[in-house]
Amino acid sequence: MKIVPLLLVVMLWQAASMSGLLPAAVLPSFFAVVVALLSLVKSGQIFPHTAASFLRAGTGLLIGTVCGTAVGLAMARFRPVQRAVEPILLSIYPVPKPALIPLFMVWLGIGDLSKITVIALSCLVPVMVSAFNGARSVDEILLWSARARGTTEYRLWWRVVLPAALPQVATGVRAAIAIALIVMVSSEFISAEHGLGYLIFTYGGVGADNAMMAVVLYLTAIGFLIDRAYVAGLRRLMAWHAFAH
Amino acid sequence: MSCALYLRLQNVGMRFGEGVVALDSLDLSIAEREFVTIVGPSGCGKSTLLYLVGGFLKPTAGILTLRGNPIVGPGADRGIVFQRYSLFPWLTVRRNISYGLEELGVPRIERDRIVAEHVRLVHLEGFEDRYPRELSGGMQQRVALAQTLVCQPDILLMDEPFGALDAQTRRILQDELRRIWLRDTKTVLFVTHDVEEAVALGTRIVVMSTRPGRVKEVIRREFDVSDGEDFEANPQFSALKLRIWHSVKKEVEAVRR
Repeated sequence: MKIVPLLLVVMLWQAASMSGLLPAAVLPSFFAVVVALLSLVKSGQIFPHTAASFLRAGTGLLIGTVCGTAVGLAMARFRPVQRAVEPILLSIYPVPKPALIPLFMVWLGIGDLSKITVIALSCLVPVMVSAFNGARSVDEILLWSARARGTTEYRLWWRVVLPAALPQVATGVRAAIAIALIVMVSSEFISAEHGLGYLIFTYGGVGADNAMMAVVLYLTAIGFLIDRAYVAGLRRLMAWHAFAH
Repeated sequence: MSCALYLRLQNVGMRFGEGVVALDSLDLSIAEREFVTIVGPSGCGKSTLLYLVGGFLKPTAGILTLRGNPIVGPGADRGIVFQRYSLFPWLTVRRNISYGLEELGVPRIERDRIVAEHVRLVHLEGFEDRYPRELSGGMQQRVALAQTLVCQPDILLMDEPFGALDAQTRRILQDELRRIWLRDTKTVLFVTHDVEEAVALGTRIVVMSTRPGRVKEVIRREFDVSDGEDFEANPQFSALKLRIWHSVKKEVEAVRR
């Protein structure tokens, strides 16, 4: 049933194209886009670009998640860390991270390194914030309970703070996944020889609108599937927690 | 019954920040194998007292000793059961109960045996693989009790453990706790605001004064209470309950004035 509104939009899109209300120069018809996508898939042309893009996004996401979790937890439990990191975090929080891409290209070159760095930095922020909030809201009773059952101060991290913060970290990572895809495409617009963002930009530049929209549709579908798979995976792995949709 | 002095609180004071005095020059001695209940008006610092014994808080005055050794921090020799939300939500019933054993480094096979024994003790057979959020409040408290008992603490600290339960479940768990205490004759320090519960469980009942909390009076229960007993039908029980109720009520009224 959830698919009905989606189908409606697609049908409206197709109807508008067929009736001439929506000229192909403005937006190709849905069918034309699907046909273009099928040929991109059939020729296998799209797959090396997919691999290049997701390698960047995945690596950046992983680095951002690990660092963000570590720093977020440390901030929540140690005042000096919080005092040192919070002003920096608050100042980079509102920066549109793609704006930093040219700078990182000057520093780290135009290859994968600069792209991965920007993606990691973009993912770091939401994960850090959620890890901080998650660890800060750990119930004191749980910490006491663990201490009274022989857990040392040091082991509390592993046995209580991290698992208690995990549902919130996971929610932050979900936001980070979407951000990773955005920054991935943005960075590939600016300079790349491979990647889905590069494909979109190139097809757009030569007026191959059908193919351009095909890549957009492809990216949308993959992004959607990743998000659903992630949420489904969380529900299984963290069956103990009641997650929101 | 052994009367060796076991837990001693001497001149204990606790203030939070400026002004709020939770406890003031409190003295209390507890012998080994006693079941001591503490009643008092809400906010009298009875939970604070328990947290001090647990080592979670440090007193701002006075000294607490267990077997003559000063209490400096939390430890597995003092097992605590909180009112609620003390189970680890990410662990199953089985893992929650085995938590303390894992921390002690008890081997897997030994752990499984002890956990199975305690699952039976608190009647949770069949729920070993559930998560806390799937259990009722009463079952969660059974898990918390088992989680504490596996550590074989010298003293059980209980902070209104049955306070959030319905009357029926509370009564059943009270009887179970009394049975466990009689069987293992552990020392128990049990905080409650329920006078009937205090009399039903405690061999000595401590009444605390309103804030700043002090020991107002200590009453020894001179008769035995048995499982499933009709308290109303026991004149000794009713008389003691009434006496303590008046003592607590005076403190409650002192706050209102």
